[in-house]
Amino acid sequence: TAALTAGLERIPDQLGYLVISEDGVLASAGELENDEHTAGVMMEMVRTASRFRLPGSTDPPFKRMSILEDFVYTVTVSGQKVFVVKRQNNQQEPISV
Amino acid sequence: QNLNSSRYLRLLIMESTLEQHLDDTMKNPAVVGVLCTDQQGHNLGCRGSLSDEHGGVVSVLAKQAAALTRDPTDTPTVCLESESGNILVRSHGTITVAVHKIAS
Repeated sequence: TAALTAGLERIPDQLGYLVISEDGVLASAGELENDEHTAGVMMEMVRTASRFRLPGSTDPPFKRMSILEDFVYTVTVSGQKVFVVKRQNNQQEPISV
Repeated sequence: QNLNSSRYLRLLIMESTLEQHLDDTMKNPAVVGVLCTDQQGHNLGCRGSLSDEHGGVVSVLAKQAAALTRDPTDTPTVCLESESGNILVRSHGTITVAVHKIAS
């Protein structure tokens, strides 16, 4: 699993990550270590989002899915695996001019 | 009778307010679609690229995202990023709003 997670380890501000396949959690770390609940919800969300189609578009429904709150979950799908990274939400303050 | 007609009037006003909000949202040049659904995914109003067929996915995504938070009053925003722009989904009480934005 080292090759699978090497890139995830280097993401700045990451608080934890999950690598999930249809068979279950392949790797996990940090705040998402062994977090089966989050893994299950993320798989459901990926399945739901995959059904989203814009009229006339043949593109995949999403390249990346983010769930924003006090922190951010960023979800990507690659090679039958779902990669979830939890990061701090460094929201930019709007600038008033 | 009076009660019924005043209730009907109130509903009409609510509906026209929602329609006005949808139109106002579409005035933003980066916004190409907007949709409001109830918790069952029924379309309450929409404009542009988002329509009836998206109601189900949008309301289910918002519901699933809520399962990620420990605090049930928290409402996360879900963002689907693709070549066609970003779809932003967020619940407000029993209503879920989706906005389709393109890079401007």
